[in-house]
Amino acid sequence: MKRRRVLFMQLSHIRLLVKKFALVILFLLAFVLMLLNKTDTILIDKTSSVATSVFSPVIDVLILPARGIAEVYDYFKDMRLAYQENKLLKAENRQLRIISEKARALEIENRLLAKLLNYTRPNEEEMVTVRVVAEEGDAFSHSLIAYTGENTTVKKDQIVITDRGVVGRVDTVGAMYSKILMITDINSRIPVMLEKNRVRGILAGDNNRKPKLEFTPIGSVINVGDRIITSGVAGTFPAGLPVGVVSEITKRDIRVTPLADFDSIEYVKIVSYADVEEPETEVVNAANPEAEVADE
Amino acid sequence: MNDAWDESLKAYFLRTLPLLCSIILVMMSYMPFNILLPTSIHPAMGVICVYYWMLHRPDVFNLFSVFCLGLVEDLITAAPLGSNLFQLLVLYVLISNLLKYFNGKPFEVMWVGFLPAAFLSMFARWFVVSVYYGQFLPLGMLGFSVLITVAAYPIISLVNVLVQNKFMADEV
Repeated sequence: MKRRRVLFMQLSHIRLLVKKFALVILFLLAFVLMLLNKTDTILIDKTSSVATSVFSPVIDVLILPARGIAEVYDYFKDMRLAYQENKLLKAENRQLRIISEKARALEIENRLLAKLLNYTRPNEEEMVTVRVVAEEGDAFSHSLIAYTGENTTVKKDQIVITDRGVVGRVDTVGAMYSKILMITDINSRIPVMLEKNRVRGILAGDNNRKPKLEFTPIGSVINVGDRIITSGVAGTFPAGLPVGVVSEITKRDIRVTPLADFDSIEYVKIVSYADVEEPETEVVNAANPEAEVADE
Repeated sequence: MNDAWDESLKAYFLRTLPLLCSIILVMMSYMPFNILLPTSIHPAMGVICVYYWMLHRPDVFNLFSVFCLGLVEDLITAAPLGSNLFQLLVLYVLISNLLKYFNGKPFEVMWVGFLPAAFLSMFARWFVVSVYYGQFLPLGMLGFSVLITVAAYPIISLVNVLVQNKFMADEV
């Protein structure tokens, strides 16, 4: 009886102590979580993956009425601008037809030259279009959550693009939803190069709207307005995807304005850089190379 | 027996309602629609909810609720795990000490009081996350976040008032 009373007193004492120091314990827990985040990436990755799978469907359901309102709003906004846009699109379409013809001719030429040089083509990429269900872009992090379904081709570190340019890379893959780290996020590092002179560098986010271009060779010529594309270095990303435009050059850093509009992302494409078997190289028919390309 | 069980279940639900409402609002704040403002910076919904519920119903919105809300927000965002929790705990400490000054004050006073409370808690998080990354995060974005959060406070409070009046008015 006495022993039970002592045990009871001990439990109540512990409970009282926990209650008394609850705030301190929780502050310590917050710091421990941050430390864990910094050191144990596997545990955090798994936790984040599970959390993304748990919370994202709820956000996806909550989104439905908001999506309806946004669609009605967009409809009326588009209706107002439809006539002007139609005129502009017709003009743009005429221009694009000419460019398309030129691009086709260049592609044929490129294939022929690649065959003549016995050039090994980089891996083919597959794209998966996914819907964005959540986004954040404040001083602390820049990320998206996208519904990927049961798509098995989506993997960590794959690059994510829109029709305008690179958005970021896959950070966490959940059962149905994946977390995407945007190129503006402080944890993002992407190997890039200048389109015109192939000067290489790393595009590093710092939670600003304009990421920094770092590790460019000393003395390289970089001007405001230069386009930045992915370099494909390290082999995880395909080369040549548009990323942004150099917008500020100061003594301290070079800032790049992303081509993708981060304020209105509804759908993104995840580029799966799959390994494909190279076809056997054949000798190009020198007499009529175009016919051979057409056969392909 | 069944009635007693129903009653206790209802009472438990009502006590967790502020937390549930806050979690839903936090999740909604990450929706990718920018109808009002052409920016992806969202109001810090957790900060608004903790401030509102701690001032109006500190009996049901306790330290455990703050912990749960902070953890949920941490798991949704890509920011360092624990940073949201830290922010809300700072806010909890601030409000706990200022509760007696805001008691029975009109809405305008509470709204004005929200500005320094939101700024201090968000600045504390900014400082800790800056130390975590070893570089200062953009202060301009933080300022803009604080302004959006303060501006959104009356609208989100309205939702919380509706929940409070509709479901918790006759709660003993």
